[in-house]
Amino acid sequence: MRVLRFLLRRLLQLLPVLLGVVVLTFLLVRVLPGDPIRTILGPNATAEDAAAARARYGLDQPVWRQFLDYLGGLVTGDLGTSIQSGAPVAGELAVRIGPTLELVVIALALALVVATALGIWSARRAGRFGDHTVRIAALVGNSLPEFWLGLVLVLLGYSVLGWAPAPSGRVDPDTDLSLLTGADLLDAALTGNGPAFVSALHHLMLPVLTLAIVIVAPLLRSVRASALEVLASEAYAAAEAHGLRGRLLLRGYLLRATLVRLPALAALVFGFAIGSTVLIEYVFSWQGFGQWALRGLLYRDYPVVQASVLLIALFYVVVFLIADVVHAALDPRVRIS
Amino acid sequence: MTLLSVEDLSVLIRRPGHEVAALSGVHLHVEAGEVVGLVGESGGGKSMVARSVVGLLPAGARATGRVLFDGADVLTMDPAALQAHRGRGAALCFQNPRGALSPTRTVGAQLTDRLRTHRGMDRDRAREVAAELFESVGIRSPRRRLDAYPHELSGGMAQRVMISLATGCAPGLLIADEPTTGLDVTLTGEILNRFRAAANTEGRGVLLISHDLASIAQVCDRVVVLYAGTVVESGPAAQVLGEPAHPYTRALLRSVPDLGGRPVTATPGAMPLLREPPAACPFAPRCAHATGECAAGRPEPAALAADWTAACFHPQTAPLAGTGTRIAERRERASGGGAEPQVVARVRDAHVVYRGRFGGAGHHALRGVSLSVAAGEAVGVVGESGCGKSTLARLMLGLVAPASGGVELAGRPLAEVRGRELRRLRTRAQLVFQDPIGSLSPRRTVADAIAEPLRAAGVGPAERAERVAKALDRMELDRSMLTRRPHELSGGQAQRVGIARALVGEPDLIVFDEPTSALDVTVQAQILEVIAGVARDSARGSVFISHDLATVRGFCDRVVVLYLGRIVEEGPVEQVFGDPRHPYTRALLSGAPSLGDGFAGPRVELTRDLEEAEAGGGCPLAPRCPFATPECREGEPELLAYGGMPGRVACRRVDEIPALLERL
Repeated sequence: MRVLRFLLRRLLQLLPVLLGVVVLTFLLVRVLPGDPIRTILGPNATAEDAAAARARYGLDQPVWRQFLDYLGGLVTGDLGTSIQSGAPVAGELAVRIGPTLELVVIALALALVVATALGIWSARRAGRFGDHTVRIAALVGNSLPEFWLGLVLVLLGYSVLGWAPAPSGRVDPDTDLSLLTGADLLDAALTGNGPAFVSALHHLMLPVLTLAIVIVAPLLRSVRASALEVLASEAYAAAEAHGLRGRLLLRGYLLRATLVRLPALAALVFGFAIGSTVLIEYVFSWQGFGQWALRGLLYRDYPVVQASVLLIALFYVVVFLIADVVHAALDPRVRIS
Repeated sequence: MTLLSVEDLSVLIRRPGHEVAALSGVHLHVEAGEVVGLVGESGGGKSMVARSVVGLLPAGARATGRVLFDGADVLTMDPAALQAHRGRGAALCFQNPRGALSPTRTVGAQLTDRLRTHRGMDRDRAREVAAELFESVGIRSPRRRLDAYPHELSGGMAQRVMISLATGCAPGLLIADEPTTGLDVTLTGEILNRFRAAANTEGRGVLLISHDLASIAQVCDRVVVLYAGTVVESGPAAQVLGEPAHPYTRALLRSVPDLGGRPVTATPGAMPLLREPPAACPFAPRCAHATGECAAGRPEPAALAADWTAACFHPQTAPLAGTGTRIAERRERASGGGAEPQVVARVRDAHVVYRGRFGGAGHHALRGVSLSVAAGEAVGVVGESGCGKSTLARLMLGLVAPASGGVELAGRPLAEVRGRELRRLRTRAQLVFQDPIGSLSPRRTVADAIAEPLRAAGVGPAERAERVAKALDRMELDRSMLTRRPHELSGGQAQRVGIARALVGEPDLIVFDEPTSALDVTVQAQILEVIAGVARDSARGSVFISHDLATVRGFCDRVVVLYLGRIVEEGPVEQVFGDPRHPYTRALLSGAPSLGDGFAGPRVELTRDLEEAEAGGGCPLAPRCPFATPECREGEPELLAYGGMPGRVACRRVDEIPALLERL
């Protein structure tokens, strides 16, 4: 019950933050050089054509008027019309966000599991060969550009070994997957489409691996550092001095105490991952949110840019909220109130 | 068979660039049913012995010799045998119970983990036994406490949990590493008695590690004294603590202030950090009896009597007597001026309330305290932790504002001055902190630190340098110290710098907030001598705050006893210590550990711990006082003078208490 109240209050506190984001992005995209009308009309359009197009998208109105219209739309869930495609932004967004979220969530989950297991393993052999190997491997993974890593994995997994499907799309079209949420794995599970599920999983393999390798290093370093701290703590020494055995020590005295600080970092990494999927989406022709947002930005498609920035901001605040709750659940000393 | 027998144990620890000889040829033994005290200052190797016994040496340590437990050598045990030995054979009770309990696991789970590991119990049975164990160490509503996390426990409660963790698996040997550090006098006695009881009724061997000689003197059968990783003296407690033979033991004992007012004698120098096992007597450089022989070879432990040995070429037999400043002598000097001394600080009926977060109900730290300090006077403030001692110090320095009442410094009310004038006025009162190194800025040199109050007072650089040097000389510190930074100082040196900083501006008032509690025993004595010298200045008043009654007795003229933010008794030292009239003062004195006979008069024990006493109206002590009547719970008693005797007491039954005591 206390958790629910806490969540409700925090969500209410988010409203002014999001309003600030809305105002800032609205102004910033209009300050940017470049004209969305010119980019859609092409070089041969006359001034009249341009004026007509402007009127069609409401861009001839004064800025405050445009803002109020936009805000009014937001309240009713209308994110405006894309200048590029002429389609409603909300519809495009709905199709685009599922695949990207699926990719990021699975990659982050994988990275968290690997970071926890390897981080603790590494801390317990601090200074030995295994420890150094893990740390260097994580550092290398972190330093590789994701598009290059993606290409290498495609080369290895598809061209050489043939384990992975070609990097074109997210699911085999022959499986007749019907679109529900846009997240193919989830859609396949919801519709009970077995072959589509397997195919989606197959297609997710390489992009998830790419993203996970890129984001695992900071998580692993954090887990290792906390685990070292716990191992050196008097509390752990006391448990050891009282003769508790390996598995109990690990589960009862090391794991939870180590993970206490991870949620905050994981939330930060999540935000970073949402941003860095653009290149991975390009490499794997993912047709996701990142690609869509980038194209919107390049063509100065105001409604698209505004919607994508707002959505990323929303993700950030919600994920940090989840992180706070998880932190409080892990650490009894933290009180949420 | 001997329960624990440590034979010729040496531990070398490899550190980057050098080695540290933590222990060199240590011999000691503990029998079942016996309490052995392991004493000495930090760096002497006490904790290293404890860690060796459970086979938990730090990384890079190399141990030689034998640690025989029930005939098996702990140093050569395989991991499985070692795990069975730890907790079941020998269990360690850690120094800082809050830190030694895992913060993310309930205390009940931590106890059942141990029970299930060593006694093969199933979950339900272990929980049952855990509740019984909690009850047996004096934890109320044990079933509810099983689900508590360590941060929800008070220090005393955490220590009890720690003891239940250590004793839960019925180990043959219990090792307690400074089990009473940071606990109040009332709790200290209770915790130590639990260890004594473990030896008496359960037949365990107990190795009690402590730097606090006075507190363990009462419970130990035998005492082993460590210095720089070597055993310098060992034998029956009565002999070693009563008529010590080794000069180091004598120095240690002379450094401990006593309730009886026996003066403290300081021994110069500090314990060396040895890079290799000592070839000569490690104490020789500090020893008054050292000869050429002592520097040439290391003395072997020689038997002085049955079971009593000392590693010394010149064991001493003379009775242990101090030669420090007598209190009476100093008192004469203080009152030599004749005229009424000027009052330097005055607190009038001050209340201090710390507000809760977001304006919630706060903590009422002081409830109507009045106190005045005259020039040339030293006032002691004593009480259990949480009684408002430190708040009183902060109040007198103008660091917290009273919610009502007032504070005057040098005759001027602090509340009426602002800005630069306030800053000037504040330099008239100085504080000496509890943590000597932590209270110095790590990035500033000693010279900068000492000059701080002068800079605040606007003194020019030339005069500043001169006065800093003078203050340094007074603290008997070398001038080369001026360019050092805090991390290059020992605790004793840092505290001297802290006192020099307080003294340099010639303030009217110096407040010492537990200035020696973070220091080792012999260093403590050195600092107490310095402070006694400062307190003798007739131009200045000093306030000495301490939970240790004995240190206050050493050089204070007047003492104030605080309880839950109120003064319950005040008066001249002789009066309060010799014939305490408030039951609380008497209980504090009764509980205070002492090397001598301790408190002479009839003793009083409070019925409950501070944290367990439910608050009610009336006398704050009523819930814990053995003499409380329903009347006591009705209205708060006033602080009044009784029967023409000096001092004042806040107790309704002052007149009846002598009769009540006789009936006890």
